[in-house]
Amino acid sequence: MTIANDIGLNSGKRTWLRPALLVPLAAVAFAGAIGLALIAVIGVSVPDAIASFVDGTIGSPYALAASLDRSSVFALVGFGFILANRANLTNVGGEGQIAVGGIAATAVALYGHVDGLPLGLAFILPTIAAVIAGALWGGLAALLKVKSGTNEVISTLLLSFIGVWLLYWSVQSPALLRKPMTSSATLPESLEIPEETKLPLLTGDYSFPVHIGLPLTLALAVVIWLILSKTILGVRLRAVGLNPVAAHRAGISYARTVIFGLATAGALGGLAGALMLLGEQYTLKDGFSSGYGFDGLVAGLLSRGSVPGVIAASLLFGFMRSGGINMEMVAAVPTALVVVIQGLIVITLAGAALFIEKWERQ
Amino acid sequence: MTWELLAVFLGSSIRLAAPLLLAGIGEMVSERAGVLNMSIEGMMLMSAFAAAVGSWATGNPLTGLLIAILAVQPVALLQAALSNSLRANQIVSGIGINILVLGATTLAYREIFGARSRTEIPGLSKVTPPILGDIPVFGHAVFEQVWLLYAGLAIIIVTALVFRYTSIGIAIHAAGAEPKAVEKSGLSITAIRYGCVQFAGFMSSLAGAFLSIGDIHTFTEGMTRGAGYLAIASVIFGKWRIGGTVFACLLFGAAPALQFQLPALGIGVPNALLIMLPYLLALLAVGGLVGRQMAPASLGEAYRR
Repeated sequence: MTIANDIGLNSGKRTWLRPALLVPLAAVAFAGAIGLALIAVIGVSVPDAIASFVDGTIGSPYALAASLDRSSVFALVGFGFILANRANLTNVGGEGQIAVGGIAATAVALYGHVDGLPLGLAFILPTIAAVIAGALWGGLAALLKVKSGTNEVISTLLLSFIGVWLLYWSVQSPALLRKPMTSSATLPESLEIPEETKLPLLTGDYSFPVHIGLPLTLALAVVIWLILSKTILGVRLRAVGLNPVAAHRAGISYARTVIFGLATAGALGGLAGALMLLGEQYTLKDGFSSGYGFDGLVAGLLSRGSVPGVIAASLLFGFMRSGGINMEMVAAVPTALVVVIQGLIVITLAGAALFIEKWERQ
Repeated sequence: MTWELLAVFLGSSIRLAAPLLLAGIGEMVSERAGVLNMSIEGMMLMSAFAAAVGSWATGNPLTGLLIAILAVQPVALLQAALSNSLRANQIVSGIGINILVLGATTLAYREIFGARSRTEIPGLSKVTPPILGDIPVFGHAVFEQVWLLYAGLAIIIVTALVFRYTSIGIAIHAAGAEPKAVEKSGLSITAIRYGCVQFAGFMSSLAGAFLSIGDIHTFTEGMTRGAGYLAIASVIFGKWRIGGTVFACLLFGAAPALQFQLPALGIGVPNALLIMLPYLLALLAVGGLVGRQMAPASLGEAYRR
């Protein structure tokens, strides 16, 4: 076996029936089976639950659109995760990156005087602000890692909590983004963003509200795939991930690569926040990030580093979330069931890593 | 600041620091042995839930505590098996466990309590230690705490003595620093690490029970809200030493305790900032403010014979 084969550069020879694909499928099936068993345990008719689940995913154009929009958010966070992970960096800060992205997008959309601008700048500028905010949030973790060797898992997690509380602060304080207090009953949330700053819908019709985030995500999927597999940037990330010392000898800057990896992951998280705010929610509220950062992280983990893998996992989770919400409303099955299934998938895959490794080596 | 206010501030700092302290020491022991236990958060949440349900169902908070301790051990065993026997990525497996516990406790809570949420649950009683409680002004305000905290402090002192004076302490330290040498001396790395993770689980169960049946006498969904991650940060802040970890936890407890004091002093600081402060301090700490980090050499790596 050659070295190139060892580090996976000759990826073209792989067959589809490989353990890296079969094991995640088995994990999803296993977790799904337990989920069905739990539905039976809590005394809800399984066919009813499944019917309401399906109805919430593809039952109507609206449900389908909501699932797709959600999947794009997960996919963006997931792409960021696998890109940074190529350099052996684990970004668990998606939640905070979404939060700061949402804050930045709201601030620019509401108070940046962008609503009169032509050529779509009204929604492009808030999006860019969100991307920058996310990149800074991720870049901060990179800086700490480079300067003082701080483990990025801990720093991105702590930054997540800080981001989420920052969001809470900005919607609680009238001096920040809270809408003007007309009475004590004024909700702690921002004003609704102006019409021009909302992301255009593909069909222009609110009964099928897929916005331009979906094509943007697909375009970025191609870009990330190209970066990872066809460019020198991808090689650098991989080299630093495999052996930072050897990479340094080969003239690859460790600091720059780490900053590039985590800042890009953060930027994608910020973009995810922009899509959520400008494309779906339109007002900033406490709890805005909704755990989507963790869903995206799980999608990234599940994909084992491949872009199509992230897309598949994101679609799975996007539809699962939508189905789960409908299941709670119609069949009285708490959405927490979906969280249980996700947790089981992650644990099963983490536990199976050794097994996959051994199997693939044969 | 008046003496009374100071006393109340110290009392609430200790109360808020207590769960971090209990979990933090457990995490420290596990990390010293080489296992990074990200699942502290999940173990605390499991315990908070089990303690609340146990106490509510039996009407006896002590039974609730016992049930919580027993309920966390399988979770700890799962973490131990994943990170030692299956050599799984310790961060990924820990986060997976946290997600699973969050989902499972929320689901079970809805099923058990349903509309009766926010039920008042019988809680653990508070005690005031003899001599300390007699101090004027401070006695009651500072030292009247849930007895579980004092029990936990006793365990922490025993842990410190074990680390300092016994061969068990040396073995745990060596398991994280030089696992090969430990294995050559005839001890089993696997056994030491399993034991330490179970101990971390035990301490987390005390921490979680403190949250639900010690502090507020109710359970809310996902009520740990990152306390477990703060406990992990306190270990880094404390440079993997008991004294340092205790100090870090007190600091993390004091920051949110300010939210009760500052308004009384006429200082308007947003609540969100004060709640955020422990995470900010933790970030500064792990960001190198406390100086060079001296993590156990093989922290986070599964041992391979």
